[in-house]
Amino acid sequence: MDHGTGIVFDAQPSWNVRVNEDRAGVALDRDAVLMLRVRDGDEASFGLLLQRHRGPLFHFLCRMVQNQAVAEELAQEVFLRVFRSRSSYEPTAKFTTWLFRIATHLALNSLRDGKKERLQDSLDEETSDGTGRQLADRGRSIEQEMLYQARLREVREAINGLPAKQRAAVLMHKYDEMEYSQIARVLHCSESAVKSLLFRAYESLRFALAHMARNQEA
Amino acid sequence: MECPSKSAESSELLIAYVEGSLDRIAERAFERHLDTCQRCREMAASQRELWAALDSWAPVQISPDFDQRLYRRLAEDRIPQPWWQRLLSADWTWRPAMPLAAACIALIAGFMLREPGPGPVQTVVIQPHGPQIEQVESALQDLEMLNQMGLPSSQGNTAREKM
Repeated sequence: MDHGTGIVFDAQPSWNVRVNEDRAGVALDRDAVLMLRVRDGDEASFGLLLQRHRGPLFHFLCRMVQNQAVAEELAQEVFLRVFRSRSSYEPTAKFTTWLFRIATHLALNSLRDGKKERLQDSLDEETSDGTGRQLADRGRSIEQEMLYQARLREVREAINGLPAKQRAAVLMHKYDEMEYSQIARVLHCSESAVKSLLFRAYESLRFALAHMARNQEA
Repeated sequence: MECPSKSAESSELLIAYVEGSLDRIAERAFERHLDTCQRCREMAASQRELWAALDSWAPVQISPDFDQRLYRRLAEDRIPQPWWQRLLSADWTWRPAMPLAAACIALIAGFMLREPGPGPVQTVVIQPHGPQIEQVESALQDLEMLNQMGLPSSQGNTAREKM
């Protein structure tokens, strides 16, 4: 597909690449193979990587910064950086580790730089860009829908209340199903530090959302 | 088994149990622990509720023109920018070597632009032409002598011409 840029991205590459399993001492995952092809000038492989990872990456960023426009901008920046640094790419870790490392770095910077403005935006945007209403189940009654939205808002606020690093760890663990070791590589810390982050984060969340469970029981 | 409610290390078990990622043997062992530990039962129940609450936060859809915008930016990337634009758009802050390099450049520039101190004073010695002065002096003496002797002025003129 030509996106009006003169670059053709959706040609399906043939899978006849010789995978050098000794490279960096790890077997290359499919993404790393694609990225190596991008490094060698195959731009169609970049299109495949984009197709595979744009969704999860965007959702992660969206939950991190809780602002759809900012999350899209950050996701664009992540893929731009991936493409720009293609020539120096070495598959020393899983591709997704690298991708989420860039994303987390950008998200943490964004949260640090625009915390105050975003706090207001995130409250306003619920009605403007639909972040808070995206889950509307058409089968729900108005009352159920309102209850559901209130519950969702509480979940978002509870996540928002976590320190940024704990938030990133929880999101990667819960929604991207990453293992502790991979989260540790993304966050540049030890596995036991990740366990500690998650332990504290889930404890805070259980405490923050405990009343939801009580209300449901009532 | 160490009680998972007591440390971050062992809480991994509880989280894995709730998310259903424990293997069968570990799951059975943990359930036996749950039978005897009230605190862990409560924690497991509240973790399960938390899990369900987090599950309800489904993602938003990405904009349909996301790829198009990205490819446009990639295409713009290929247009060579003037050096000053590249310099301005470069992300300097994340490179740890940059501040060091900047400090080195500033240091070198400082040394180069430093005002030079007082150097050795060069004295210009004007070497007078010895023979010429002697000639003038002797001519003046001759004139004076002739004046005193009262000789005609033509002699004086000749002497002046000599000068």
